[in-house]
Amino acid sequence: MTSASSFITALAVNPAVIMTVGAVLGALIPNGFAAIRRPLMMIFVAMSAFQLNRLGLGEFGALSIFGEPVTMLRIDPLSRIFAVVFHIATALNLLYAWRSRDRAQDFASLAYPAAALGGVLAGDLITLFVWWEIAAITSVFLVWAPGTRATFVAGMRYLTIQVLSGVLLLAGVVLVYRETGSFAFGEIGLRDAQGAMKASGLVMLTAFGIKAAFPLLHNWVQDAYPKASFSGTIVLSVFTTKLAVASIARAFPGEPELILIGAVMTIFPIFFALIENDLKKVLCYSINNQVGFMVVGVGFGTAASINGAVGYAFTNIIFESLLFMAVGAAVYRTGTSKATELGGLYRTMPLTMAFAIVGAMSISAFPGFAGFVTKGLIIDAAGEANHFLIWLVLLFASAGVLEHAGIKIPYFTFFAHDSGKGPKEAPPEMLLAMGISAFLCIAIGVRPEPLYALMPYPEAVADYHPYAPYHVIEQLQLLLWAVLAFAALILLKWYPAEVPSTNLDTDWFYRVPGRGLLGWAVAAVRAVWRLAWRLFSTRTQEIMDRIYAVHGPEGALARSWPTGFMALATAVILGLALIIAFAA
Amino acid sequence: MAEHPDGEQKPGWADTKAFRNAFLGVLAVAALAAAIAGFLPQFQKEHPHFSVEHMGAFFAVYGFVAFSFIVLAGQHLRKLVGRKEDYYDERE
Repeated sequence: MTSASSFITALAVNPAVIMTVGAVLGALIPNGFAAIRRPLMMIFVAMSAFQLNRLGLGEFGALSIFGEPVTMLRIDPLSRIFAVVFHIATALNLLYAWRSRDRAQDFASLAYPAAALGGVLAGDLITLFVWWEIAAITSVFLVWAPGTRATFVAGMRYLTIQVLSGVLLLAGVVLVYRETGSFAFGEIGLRDAQGAMKASGLVMLTAFGIKAAFPLLHNWVQDAYPKASFSGTIVLSVFTTKLAVASIARAFPGEPELILIGAVMTIFPIFFALIENDLKKVLCYSINNQVGFMVVGVGFGTAASINGAVGYAFTNIIFESLLFMAVGAAVYRTGTSKATELGGLYRTMPLTMAFAIVGAMSISAFPGFAGFVTKGLIIDAAGEANHFLIWLVLLFASAGVLEHAGIKIPYFTFFAHDSGKGPKEAPPEMLLAMGISAFLCIAIGVRPEPLYALMPYPEAVADYHPYAPYHVIEQLQLLLWAVLAFAALILLKWYPAEVPSTNLDTDWFYRVPGRGLLGWAVAAVRAVWRLAWRLFSTRTQEIMDRIYAVHGPEGALARSWPTGFMALATAVILGLALIIAFAA
Repeated sequence: MAEHPDGEQKPGWADTKAFRNAFLGVLAVAALAAAIAGFLPQFQKEHPHFSVEHMGAFFAVYGFVAFSFIVLAGQHLRKLVGRKEDYYDERE
């Protein structure tokens, strides 16, 4: 068993623990000094980044639990790229809501990213499980932050689903241990040596799939994330799904089922995003769609496609956050994220609008922006694998991304109709966070080499030239003609007007019939309990009545015995004794 | 918001006809140029994965059709899943 000192040493070396300490210390700062909370937290993010850089690649914090070796910290090329972008996103999110004075939200804005960081850096399944659960529990504070009944019940639903994922993960850990005799977190795969599906793989993939928001398991994202505060939603949008992508990339590379799952993920959110009025929810559907591209990349399982998947995760975190930040700034200034209530903000929020357009062009993968230099790796993988249908699906989904994230978000927030709102430009700290994100989108797009060097298989990307003339033209054709289609639909007035509505999705099953079923089950249990209690209390009363009748003041056994009766009884007993003695 | 002395709002730059026409013009020219470039040998892939990539304007056609399909077909989803805005408020 590990000694206490080696355990503490293993913790102290871990960047995720450094961040967690920062979150706890920040939470301990009294509200009177809340202004120093985020600066202090930022120092801990810097310390964590410094530690990550100082350690370099390798395994650290080796311990023994139940006699089994565990590796609490593994920095390899796959985990490093996620760790780097998690640091960037954490710092930008802290900066964005620099003026926040909400203790619980401030704590969660660092503790939750720290847990996700710990998860991607986990070298064994026990450590992964612990961080997985901490991420679930700390993140719910962001959903609860607005403090309304709606956010409370949404938070409870969110927590239930996240903890379900954790319980499945624990079951998967046990199954993997039974199979391999080790807690090491490496490739698990879906099939055994004979090619049959194995339970351990299925359970683990389901646990990861819940957090990655696989189709039909996806709706907790749209249910919970938009209900958080304007800044909480941004923090939430980054980490859980990408921790899941990192885990899937490690455990299930090259599983063909992932290609199909990912392809479905890229398609169906497009249609829900089209009809959705709440722009925060539109971006949540966008998360599903974007993670779909990553899952497809992992599914192809080649060095280039894995590079594409994790590279796309890296860039997506930056441009998706940027879009969330821009919408968040509009929410901060106007109090709404509904497309029907926004519009025309470009006049008074021109910088936010410009940053949103950079984010929109990045997510749409316009040449010169971050999405372009990474997404092509995934779509090329479909070509390399001669998967024509998937290739078409990914191109179709790319047009869909342009529709809901590339056009709908900036168009309905900043242009479309004049909402009559003339809010002030976003505050400087928000502009700075958005500005840095926009800069990164363009810098990576123009000069992707440093990102390529961070990829898990840099040698596989050495011959990749995103700016090959044919690639630029193909992409420009796809996107410009899609924008042309948008312009034509607007001019013809065929583009559907936004309407205030709630669109049903899979959460309906547990929010309406599921809730009804639960209500029925509660009523049934209550009725059975009442019946059982009535039967029990009636029987008990009858028994008590009988005892009372016998032993009570009027009962036969409570009578007083006269002295003469005792003398007679004694004489009878003595007589009997005499007869028995004589007979004997 | 900027207002005229007579109280009417001055249209913002993006709401002017001049901007709209300029935007549409640049877009149309760029889209056309990209489509034409697709037919030039220097903009074609040497070893395409699929035969459709040989068609110079495949991506242009596909982008236009895919986008139009998403918008024109997708809006009917509203009939299936669209409900009142306070749908869940009444039920929770």
